[in-house]
Amino acid sequence: MGNKQTIFTDEQLDAYQDCTFFTRKEILRLHGRYHELAPHLVPMDYTNDPDVKVPLALIVNMPELKENPFRNRIVESFSEDGQGNLSFNDFVDMFSVLSEMAPRELKAIYAFKIYDFNVDNYICKEDLEKTLNKLTKEELTPEEVNLVCEKAIEEADLDGDSKLSFADFENMISRAPDFLSTFHIRI
Amino acid sequence: MRRMSVFPQHGTALGLTANEIRQEVENNTSELVSDLVNLSARARFQAIRSLPVSFNERKTIRNRVNSVKLSKTMLPADCRQQVSRSFRKFRANLASARQRLVVWQDTLKEIGGRFGTSVLSYFLFLKWLLKFNLFSLVINFCFITIPQIVHAPNISNPTGFRGLELLTGVGYFNQTVLFYGGYNGEVIVSTLAYNMQLAYFFTISAYLVLCGVSLLYSMSRSFQNNFVLETGPVSGGAWRLLCSWDFSVVNEKAIQYNKNNLGIQLKESLSERLQEKNKMSLSDSIKRLSLHLLAWLLSLGLAIGSSAGIYFLGKEQLIFSFDHDPNDLKAEASTLLLPVVVSLINLIVPLLYSLISRMESYSNPRAQIYISIMRNVILKMSLLGILCFYWLNDVPNSTSSCWESFVGQSVYRLLIIDFIFCLLGIFFGEFLRNVIGTMWIQSLGVPEFDIARNVLDLIYAQTLAWIGIYYSPLLPVMQVLKLFIIFYLKKVSLSMNCQPPKHTGRAAQIQTVFIALLFFPSFVGTLAMVSFTVWRLRPSDQCGPFQGLNTPFYAIFNWIDSIHGYPESNWVWWIFENVLRSELFYYLITLIVLVITFFLWQITQGRKELIKTLREQIANEGKDKAFLLNKLQTIQKQRREMTSYRPQDFDQTPHFNPNWMNTLPMDM
Repeated sequence: MGNKQTIFTDEQLDAYQDCTFFTRKEILRLHGRYHELAPHLVPMDYTNDPDVKVPLALIVNMPELKENPFRNRIVESFSEDGQGNLSFNDFVDMFSVLSEMAPRELKAIYAFKIYDFNVDNYICKEDLEKTLNKLTKEELTPEEVNLVCEKAIEEADLDGDSKLSFADFENMISRAPDFLSTFHIRI
Repeated sequence: MRRMSVFPQHGTALGLTANEIRQEVENNTSELVSDLVNLSARARFQAIRSLPVSFNERKTIRNRVNSVKLSKTMLPADCRQQVSRSFRKFRANLASARQRLVVWQDTLKEIGGRFGTSVLSYFLFLKWLLKFNLFSLVINFCFITIPQIVHAPNISNPTGFRGLELLTGVGYFNQTVLFYGGYNGEVIVSTLAYNMQLAYFFTISAYLVLCGVSLLYSMSRSFQNNFVLETGPVSGGAWRLLCSWDFSVVNEKAIQYNKNNLGIQLKESLSERLQEKNKMSLSDSIKRLSLHLLAWLLSLGLAIGSSAGIYFLGKEQLIFSFDHDPNDLKAEASTLLLPVVVSLINLIVPLLYSLISRMESYSNPRAQIYISIMRNVILKMSLLGILCFYWLNDVPNSTSSCWESFVGQSVYRLLIIDFIFCLLGIFFGEFLRNVIGTMWIQSLGVPEFDIARNVLDLIYAQTLAWIGIYYSPLLPVMQVLKLFIIFYLKKVSLSMNCQPPKHTGRAAQIQTVFIALLFFPSFVGTLAMVSFTVWRLRPSDQCGPFQGLNTPFYAIFNWIDSIHGYPESNWVWWIFENVLRSELFYYLITLIVLVITFFLWQITQGRKELIKTLREQIANEGKDKAFLLNKLQTIQKQRREMTSYRPQDFDQTPHFNPNWMNTLPMDM
């Protein structure tokens, strides 16, 4: 706390503080974590905004994400190219949305993106089946999987097009107050 | 404020060119920027942070907003920028300083990572209670204890320190500042006259008022966030699939455990649905109802019986201590009998309650949890109620010396014995049960961490601590130490012995119920008791800050009379005499509050109707959309068939009305 850090300029840190839910100290700590993922790739000096992306395979090895069943989808939803390669800005964005200070609407938007496996802006039955398989892993027979997904769509679909749009999903989230605390990864 | 659409524009599918799309996006952005500029600074930053776009776009928008704001001001750009930057730096420093004060951050992260958010809520509740007690400790120490220690130490007849005092609180501690009796009511004459009576009264009432306000605020915020209008199926498969997965769990075994649980719960809900719900015959439902009635009678009977037992034990105790020399070791040890019996009741009767509830059958597990919480609360509150009655009714009329110190010592003993039983409970209830469950009787399994029981124990101990503050201003020291030790012990016991609870749904609602329980029987009861003591009871004549007065509240009367003489403070006297002491004022306030409540209730009913109507409207619009799409497709097919007969008029482009997207809800 005595030496002036040279990783970011003051304007950059201000921008990070204004645009994410983290403080300066947390941003610096996040940079340390990001650097740990790929020390040969990520420079220590970010003052001139280097264009560096850490690949998906390295990011999902973080202890916070390693065991999460949705780790790949989480990282893909926050990457700009959709393939899971995160720049530092995307990395900070990801943990900012998943932190406890992000509001419910923001979390709902990204949760929808995560559960939307085929990226067509609807959660259709196949997306639900994939979600269920990730969450239970061979405990349910295929008929049971089918039945659960059908019932789920029946319950949540408001406009009757047999898939969940974002409005249906958000309506369901608004009736689940635990969502704010469960959709949360601490770093 | 208009929300930016997250999802890629469907413009190209509708025949718009790339330029038109860019124009539309640019319009959206400038509208957004102008909206943001008009907000206050704090709301603006929160809105920018909540924009659902990538970081770089957010930064662009923020820069645009800043430049617009700068161009609007009168002051030179540098000055304004410097002022705003230093202000923001100050706020950020405050935030990071507050973060440094946050204790146990890493421990909580570890617990949340292994056991999930519902178990974490217990530890967060503990931390919240710790804050109350620390605050009380600090203000009591600063405003009451330090002046007393510095100006008028009051040790008369010091008896030697024997070890038993730590448990019973008498003897050596009798005349110290730990208890009410150690305080004097005189006006300390120094550079500034410091009236100890007023200090005692105002410190404690200020603390209670602040506690009440903070509890009300937490309760209303929690209620607003967590208790939603539950219309429609909320506990079905959709919720379980999409909203219930706990992302904060990072431990591999815990995740495996959660996956198993989810699978089991989904299977259960499927099999429930597949079975036909048998219509219960009349005799079955009567049998069920009578079982419920019997269970309630038994529970209430146990609660009333134990309270009566405690009351008579207390009276016996009083007679016994009156007959014996207070320095007798045996008499002192016998004062520990009452707290031990109370703690035993608190331990055994809830177990009996869980046995009783096993013989009943419930329609859903949530009802079972709520009913068991209610029964336990009735038990604990009746015990505390009867103890308060005994302390306020029998004790002041019997003991000749300091009765307030006696009450303070009783509370102290109750707290210490409760702490010891808590330690024993951790050892026997969790450690030994784990050993038995894994090594000897395999079918029992590892014990589950029972959140409800642990939180109710915390609420009970906190009620005792709040009751005791008036009679023993330094009691929060013990409560703080106790909470610290319990935090670490529970954490260790959790990691070694327990597994997380299986049914984790609805944790947020149960959290609201706990905060409400902390407010309603617990805090309000304390307030009632302290108010009764201050307003009606005669303080002891030989000890304490209010000796010689009729009731402690007379200190305020005397003070008001004394400032009546000064013309500058006449308004205080006027407010006191004509507003606070007149009944009309309170009637008017009650009437106004009732009227406002009635209006708000009507507004809520109206909103519920509105929500129902809007839901139906959404369903109708979905059907409209499907119908129109079908019609569009049939028209297109007809057109194509028609044009296939006339090859010279073959039209390549599909004929669209580009304005059709304004008639249907496209953006979300």
